[in-house]
Amino acid sequence: MKINGTYRLNATTDVVWNMLMDPAVLEKVTPGVKQLEPLGEDSYSAISEVRIGPVKGTFEGNLSVRDKVEEESCLLVIDQKSKSGNVIAEIGMQFNALDDGNTEVKYTGEAKMSGMLARMGQRIMSGVVSTLSKQFFQAFEKELETEKS
Amino acid sequence: METFIGKPIKRREDARFLKGAGTYTDDIKLPKMAHTAFVRSPYAHAKILSIDTSEAGKSEGVIAIYTGSDGCGEYGVPCGWQVDFKNGETMREPKHPLLAKDKVKHLGEAVAIIVADTLAQARDAAELVEVDYEELPAVTDAKAAMEQGAPKVHDEWPDNAAFDWCIGNDRAEVEAALASAHHVTEMEYRNQRLAPNAIEPRSYIADYDVNGDKWTLYTSTQNPHLIRLLLCAFVLGIPEHKVRVVSKDVGGGFGSKIYHYTEEALLTWISREIGRPVKWTSDRSEAFLTDAHGRDHVVKSKMGFDKDGKIVAHLTDEYCAMGAYLSTFAPAVPTYLHGTLFQGVYTTPLIHLNVTAPFTHTVAVDAYRGAGRPEATYLLERMLSKAAKEMDMDPAEIRFKNFIPPFDGVNEQGYQTQVALQYDSGNYEGVLKRGLEMLGYEDFRKEQEAARKDGKLLGVGISTYIEGCGIAPSAVVGSLGARAGLYEVGHVRVQPTGKVQVLTGAHSHGQGHETVFAQFVADKLGIAMDDVEIEHGDTDQVAFGMGTYGSRSLAVGGSAIIKSIDKVLEKGAKIAAHKLEAAEEDLEYAQGKWTVKGTDKSVSFGDVSLTAYVPHDYPEGLEPGLDFSSFYDPTNFTYPFGAHIAVVEVDAETGKTNLKRFVACDDVGNVMNPMIVEGQIHGGVVQGVGQALLEEVVYDEGGQMISGSYMDYAMPRADDVPSIETDRTTTPCPHNPLGVKGAGEAGAIGSTPAVVNAVVDALSHLGVTDIQMPLTPQRVWKAMQAQA
Repeated sequence: MKINGTYRLNATTDVVWNMLMDPAVLEKVTPGVKQLEPLGEDSYSAISEVRIGPVKGTFEGNLSVRDKVEEESCLLVIDQKSKSGNVIAEIGMQFNALDDGNTEVKYTGEAKMSGMLARMGQRIMSGVVSTLSKQFFQAFEKELETEKS
Repeated sequence: METFIGKPIKRREDARFLKGAGTYTDDIKLPKMAHTAFVRSPYAHAKILSIDTSEAGKSEGVIAIYTGSDGCGEYGVPCGWQVDFKNGETMREPKHPLLAKDKVKHLGEAVAIIVADTLAQARDAAELVEVDYEELPAVTDAKAAMEQGAPKVHDEWPDNAAFDWCIGNDRAEVEAALASAHHVTEMEYRNQRLAPNAIEPRSYIADYDVNGDKWTLYTSTQNPHLIRLLLCAFVLGIPEHKVRVVSKDVGGGFGSKIYHYTEEALLTWISREIGRPVKWTSDRSEAFLTDAHGRDHVVKSKMGFDKDGKIVAHLTDEYCAMGAYLSTFAPAVPTYLHGTLFQGVYTTPLIHLNVTAPFTHTVAVDAYRGAGRPEATYLLERMLSKAAKEMDMDPAEIRFKNFIPPFDGVNEQGYQTQVALQYDSGNYEGVLKRGLEMLGYEDFRKEQEAARKDGKLLGVGISTYIEGCGIAPSAVVGSLGARAGLYEVGHVRVQPTGKVQVLTGAHSHGQGHETVFAQFVADKLGIAMDDVEIEHGDTDQVAFGMGTYGSRSLAVGGSAIIKSIDKVLEKGAKIAAHKLEAAEEDLEYAQGKWTVKGTDKSVSFGDVSLTAYVPHDYPEGLEPGLDFSSFYDPTNFTYPFGAHIAVVEVDAETGKTNLKRFVACDDVGNVMNPMIVEGQIHGGVVQGVGQALLEEVVYDEGGQMISGSYMDYAMPRADDVPSIETDRTTTPCPHNPLGVKGAGEAGAIGSTPAVVNAVVDALSHLGVTDIQMPLTPQRVWKAMQAQA
C-alpha cells in the first residue's frame, strides 16, 4: 500500500529536524506508542497499540531512521509485529524550508501487511494511515508550540 | 392411490430446518468435549524458524498444544485423482502435512493447534504462541508460477508444474484448420478464483472411545464414506472398521465439503492422544483462507469459423492453479471434468485443449459447483457470442447453425464427441427455441434498439450449455486417473410392518434427498410416502457410498435404490405367489399389492413383509427377511443441457449492471420433484450471477488475501437477481432406470456466460467486446470509457 502526503509545520527545518530526531518527542507524538526504547543509534524498539477497523492489537518491533541528510531528508523504517499480522513500512521524509520560515514535510513510501491485518485492514488502511499521520503531525505541532513557549 | 413422482411435494426436512432443529456438527455437544483453535500462517510462503508454545501452554484451560513436529499423520492427506504429464511423467504429489513443519506454503496453513476446555481458552492461548518466520517470495498467479525464476512452491519441483495435460484432436491438425478458417475469434481472460461460501462453515468433532478402541468422527462433509477411507487407510493408518463417520445435517457444500481436509484427520488423531472428544468449527475468516476454492483458469483461446458461421476448429491453452497442495479431486477439475465438455452442444469437428497445472502459494483449488464445466461453458458461450458479433450474425442464429441435431439415445445413437465422451441424449435446439420464446427475443431486440436511441444500455445474453453429470462409470474414471470407483449404494430395508427404511450412500446437504428419494420409492412400491424413511450420512448405518457431488445423487444413488427395490419386489413376488397359491408369473404388482392377473385375489405389500419376517407358512428354500442392498455403477455419465438467457441494463453513468430478466429452460431428463429442480436451478443461477458480476478471491503480490471477509468478497443478494423464469423440456436419460440426468449444477453452469454476454451486448455498439469477470461497476465503466 502506498503512503504519501504533505504537512506544513510552523517552525524552521532545523527545529523540526532536531525535534523529530528526539526519541522522547517521538514517543509522545506517535499515535498509539506506549514505549520507545533506543536499541542503537537511530534505532528503537517500539511497542504500540493501534486499532485498524476490526483489527485491534499490540504491535511490537523496531523503528529506525536511515539515510539521514541533516535538515533535508531521511528514511523511516518500521517493522512491527502483532497477533493479527505484521506491518513493514519504508517511508521517505523530505523537509523543505519555505519562504515564510515554515517547513513542509513531504512523506512518501510503501507499507506491506500480512495476516488478518492484510485481509481485514487493507480496504480501510489508507484511511487509517491518513488519520494516524494527521494525529502524528497535530501532536508534533502541539509539541512545537510547547517548545516555543 | 396417490402417486408422488413429478409432483412438487414440499420438503420433509424443512420441518426441522425451519424450526432451527437441524443437527449440524457444531450443534453436537459431547460430555468432556475439548475445543481447539489453530495458529495459522500469516504468510503465503515462509520458513518456520521456531515455534514457542511455552507461554500458551501455561494459559488457563489448555490441555495440549501440537505442532508439526509432534508426529501427527506423517503421510499427510492424499490426493484422490492422478493426472500424469503428457510425456508420461507421474503427477507430482506433494505431501500435505496435517500441520506445517519447516515451511508454510499458503496463507492460513495450520502451524499449531491448541486444545483447551473452552473455545475462548483455546483462542486466548493461540494468541500466545510465538512463531518466528522468515518470509519468502510467493507466487499466486497460475501463469506467473510457470515463468522462469518464479518462487518455488515445492523445492523438489523447480518449474512448479503439478502436471500438464491435453485432450482432443492432434494440435497441428487443429492449428492448420484455424490457419485456413474464414474467420478466427480470439479470447484471453481469467476465469477468476471463487470462494465457495457454504452457509455452514466446516466443523468436526472426533470422539475416541478408549474402551471400544473406536472413533466417531462427526463431520460436515458431502462424502462420509470416502472421508473414512482416506482418513483410515491413507492418513492415520487406522483400521476402517474402527471409525464411524457421521454427517447428519450439512448446511451446503457446493463442492467444498467433498474433500478430506487436514483438520478432520488431525482432530481424529488428537482425540486418542487426549482421550476426550475434541471439536473444531471454522470461523468465516478461516473458511475464506482454508476451504478449497473454485475456478482460477488463465485462458487463451481461438475458434475458427467458415463463412456460414459453422465452427471448424477450436484451440485453447490454459493455466489452471492447483494451490500449494493437491486437494482430493483437484487434478480432475481442469482436465476430465473440463476438457471433456469442450464439444459443448455443437458439432465442432476439431478440438484441442492444453492444460498446464502449476502449484501456487494459495489454498487448494478444487471442484466448486459445476467443477470444470462452468469454465468450459463460459469459454464456448462467450466465444460464440463474440464470434457472432464479429461476423455480424445473431448470437441465437450462430448457435442454431452449430447445434448437434436431436437424438434420444434409444432410436438414435448417442453423440460421440471429439473429447472422449459420448452424450446420452439431447435436443439442444429445443431448449433454445423455448428459451427465446419465453423471453420474446425478437420483441426484445426491437425494444433494445429503441432504448439505445434514448441512451439506455440494454443487452441480452444467450448461453446454451451441456454438462457431464451422474458421476461416474467406475472403469471409465479409473482409466482417467481416479483412485476410487464412483458407483453408489442403495439399501432397502423393509420392516415386518411393511414400513421401509432406505439407506443411501449419497449425501444430502441441501438437495432434499429425504423428500425426493421417498417420492420415487413410495411410487415404485405403491405405498405412502409416510411409510418411507431415507437415511444417509452415517457409515455405521449405510454399508458404503461415494457421497454427493457432480449432480450424481438421483442418477447414481437413485438407481442403486431402484436396483434394491427390484430385488425386494422379486422376492416379495415369491412370497406372494406362495400366499396366493399361484404361479409367480401369473402375478402383477401395482398399487402396493400382488394380484393374480385377471382375478381379484391379491395380497398387500404389508402382508408379504410380515410374512417375510414371520415365515411360518413360507416358500420352501427361501430365506426370511426383505432386505436388499445394491451397488449401481452407471454405464455412462448423464448429460443435462439447457438454454439460459439474461437481460441486463447497464447504468451509463456508473457502469452498474442491473439484471432485469433471467430465463432458464433446462432439460434435466425426467423430473421427480419439479419444485426442487426449480430451487436447484434458482440457487445455481444466483451462484453463476455471483461469478459474473460480484465475486472474486484476490491475493495481493505477497500472497495476502485481500478479499477475506464479506466486506470485501461480494456475494449475490436478493436484490441482485430478478424473479427467475424457468421452464423445462424433457429428454429422458436412456441409461438409468429413472431416466434422470441431475440438476444440481446446471444453474451455475449456464448462467455466468449468459450474464456476461448480456453486458457485452448492452455495450457492443460502443465498441466493447469483452470485460474481465467479475463485471463490477468500475470494470464496466472503465470498459465504456476506454471506447469513449
